[in-house]
Amino acid sequence: MVLGPVLPCMNRILSILTITGLAVCSAFSQGPRPNDLGASPQPVGAPGVMWYTTWETAKEEARRSNRPVFFMAAAATCSGISGVF
Amino acid sequence: MFSTKEFIEASRNYVCVRLESYESEEHQQLVRSFLNGRFENTAFCILEPDAETRLTGSSRSPHHIMGRTNDQVIAEMTRIAKLYRKKGGDREMALQDFHSFRQALNVASADQRLLLFVSGNGGDLEKVKSTLRPVFADSDVMGRFHLDFADENSDADWTGTVSRSSDAPGMYLIQADRFGQHGAVVAAIPLTVESADLKSALLEANREFAESEARKVYSDHVSEGREKNVFFKNGMPYGEDRDGDGKIDPRGAKGGKGRKGRGGGAEGRGRPAEVEKEL
Repeated sequence: MVLGPVLPCMNRILSILTITGLAVCSAFSQGPRPNDLGASPQPVGAPGVMWYTTWETAKEEARRSNRPVFFMAAAATCSGISGVF
Repeated sequence: MFSTKEFIEASRNYVCVRLESYESEEHQQLVRSFLNGRFENTAFCILEPDAETRLTGSSRSPHHIMGRTNDQVIAEMTRIAKLYRKKGGDREMALQDFHSFRQALNVASADQRLLLFVSGNGGDLEKVKSTLRPVFADSDVMGRFHLDFADENSDADWTGTVSRSSDAPGMYLIQADRFGQHGAVVAAIPLTVESADLKSALLEANREFAESEARKVYSDHVSEGREKNVFFKNGMPYGEDRDGDGKIDPRGAKGGKGRKGRGGGAEGRGRPAEVEKEL
């Protein structure tokens, strides 16, 4: 009788704990643990987002083409280990 | 989300810029300007084509500013893009560039794309750019490569980290190694190449690259990097300033005042899992 409401509650708690666990990074930034992260589902060589990688070129292109800007900053390292976003 | 077909399609109506958070003081100041003075290693915002006026709040995840689900984010991106009429032809577009070859090589490694590095000078370079524009605006090429132009100061020693490289002016298609600190030239292309031939060379190299390169698994990559003591010295020290006091927080420090930002949501609480997984 009591287990009915308790189980969903436990599930919610477990979910919260899982999310919290992911949010406690072992790296500098307190994001998810690297062990929790996998591979990009996109095949190598497939077309992806066309990124501008300097603010100057992005501004120039946005003003020229009258397109809005999707701004993102991110590190291409994890704890100083290079070669990964 | 960033590697889904739907997001990539929506992104084509935007100028997408991704700055390396630790590359320079300038980049970190820009991030702080979006995050109310804090520095966190991811930041997102949508701006008008003037690249100044913000159209959304800013936060460390697009889900905090445009919708909780990927579908909502993409729908909001699509709605905003429809407000603007694109001007000019793709053949006049600004070309991608990096501040340094070092950063370009690492980003190419992280994205697992080939890097086209252009080493030329003055008059040659303008001609080369007119060759490159239609190629990089071509839907077969767009978003498959990174492009960098040599800077005579910061890139003077680029040949030291890349095998089969040359000091001679030219276009060099480079495959970065696993940790993005070394690479190899897979094709050397003369600056005088025609656009159609350049496109063919790029696509052929990309086909071979795709056949030989396996996707990195993030956790394995980081484990291997730790075992090998890999370290990439960036322009700024690693870490975050979540309380916005201008100093990098000690490791393990909790977020402070960071929750009052325009983006609201979970600012200051840690890098969201969805951001980490999908970059």
